[in-house]
Amino acid sequence: MYRLADVKQALTNKTPPAAFRPTMGRKGWATGMPFLLPGLIGFALFFIWPFGISVGYAFLDRPVGGSFVGFANFADLLTNRAYLLGLTNTLRFIGISVPINLALSLGVAMLINKLPRHKELISLFFLIPLVIPSGSMVSFWHSLFALDGALNGFLHGFGIERINWLNSDLAMFVMVLIFVWKNLGYNMILYLAGLSSVPRDCYEAAWVDGAKPWQTFRHITLPHLMPTTVLALIMSIINSFKVFREIFLITGAYPHPSIYTLQHFMNNMFASLNYPRLTTATTILVAGIAIFTQVLLRFERKISA
Amino acid sequence: MSGHRALKEKLLLPLMVCLGLIMLFPLIVTFTNSFMSEAEIALRYTSRLTTFDIADGITRRFIDMGLIPQRVTTEQYAEVLINQPSFMVLMTNSMRLTLPVVAGSLVISALTAYGFTIWRFRFKEAVFAVYIVVMLMPLQAVLVPNFIIADMMGIRESHLAIILPGIFSPFGVFLMRQSMKVIPSAYFEAARIDGASEWYIFSRVVMPQLKSTIAALTMLTFIEYWNIVEQAIIFITDYRQEPLSVYLSRIAAGRMGLVFAASCIYMFLPLWFLMVGQKDLKKGIELSGVK
Repeated sequence: MYRLADVKQALTNKTPPAAFRPTMGRKGWATGMPFLLPGLIGFALFFIWPFGISVGYAFLDRPVGGSFVGFANFADLLTNRAYLLGLTNTLRFIGISVPINLALSLGVAMLINKLPRHKELISLFFLIPLVIPSGSMVSFWHSLFALDGALNGFLHGFGIERINWLNSDLAMFVMVLIFVWKNLGYNMILYLAGLSSVPRDCYEAAWVDGAKPWQTFRHITLPHLMPTTVLALIMSIINSFKVFREIFLITGAYPHPSIYTLQHFMNNMFASLNYPRLTTATTILVAGIAIFTQVLLRFERKISA
Repeated sequence: MSGHRALKEKLLLPLMVCLGLIMLFPLIVTFTNSFMSEAEIALRYTSRLTTFDIADGITRRFIDMGLIPQRVTTEQYAEVLINQPSFMVLMTNSMRLTLPVVAGSLVISALTAYGFTIWRFRFKEAVFAVYIVVMLMPLQAVLVPNFIIADMMGIRESHLAIILPGIFSPFGVFLMRQSMKVIPSAYFEAARIDGASEWYIFSRVVMPQLKSTIAALTMLTFIEYWNIVEQAIIFITDYRQEPLSVYLSRIAAGRMGLVFAASCIYMFLPLWFLMVGQKDLKKGIELSGVK
């Protein structure tokens, strides 16, 4: 569980009161550097530096002794059918699964919040899928959704013909279902924490004024949860890329075209070691995510200020 | 309170238990089916028609996931644990990937976060902002940089290609720094007045107060790397080096009973962590005061 208030706090630079005042100047250098150095070197070596190289490669025709080709790699990639298929599927998956996940996890969090007791136990039910390795559930999902699987067997009892869940356009919805099943608990935790911070007197005032439950939700709960929602949205989008694990483990390297994601494309490019495409795709993804998260965090800062 | 509302509240708990059981359904099936005999599994998990079916006029068969085994047996577990040592080898591979990352990232992130806490230098917040930007990247965005550096260092085919970036990942640094921020300054000042060294303050004053953060980070890193898929597909070409998380899907086709037992063994550790550590995770989140 990323602690989202921390992301927010770190980006707004609000230091809580009574915090330790850090040492400055030469003395700070002498005491701070030994602690900081190993981590900084590793971080620069394994993340920042190779990322710089990767951006550089995106503008070369080949990594070793290549020449500068400008945006040719980008033009090539953006006209590549496999890449565009992966990109649109990934975006479509995010567009469908993230709102469903947010709505359901808010609903579950609100119900759990209303429970008079056993909150811990009930929330445990929803947290368990989050920690289960994807591999451990593959055989279950496969037996459920296969052409001769248990779900079709169940429907057969109602006289419904076999449905090809995993190998048709419906596969997208199977993946949404699995994603929501696995990630519901994550946002639920965030929302539970968010709900507990809505001031009680707001609800009391609304109750005194005779507000309907829907009005209370619409005008008190929802606005108070806005910052939580923005941060939950960011985390859901980042986590939504992980659905590749289930897709890959259940349907293999070559799934139905409707669930061919960006990561499938990347895997194929890794297999043929196509550096220009790999690095260009990475550059686009990093730029896209960075811009997107910055815009959302700024928006969140504005509404919570 | 009106009787209507009281009734609603009474119904809420059973409703939530039902929802919870739906969430757990895939686990329950996997668990109970792992205690079925090979013969029962063979019967349930096949769609091939037998001559008897055709004689009986059955034209189509489906996988029949039952909840309760006809006869409870541990033969699948015996098969996985004793007769098929390859499972244990793959399980060891998972351990060999996960444990170094957990231990390494714990040490590195505690040290780095402490450095960020005690020392104020120019561009400190800018450097930390880079950590946050990288932390907010999906795995897909860092795979290519990871691959490039592993290739340069000549460790592309080794587990180190996965372990080293894991150790230096920014998430731990972030988590540690945020929980160090709320330690009252009086602790640091008192220790300094007593003439304690920085290392002493770090290891004896600060670390003992971060027990629940350490627990949370350990669990989260373990769960993440125990479920490794993307890096394993890209970096590990020798199937004998593969973690069980990837291999489980390959055997799914043939021997279902075996897979169910192996799946249960594989999910035991993360589940156990959640059972004992649920409070720590929640406490960690509440500590940060999510608004």
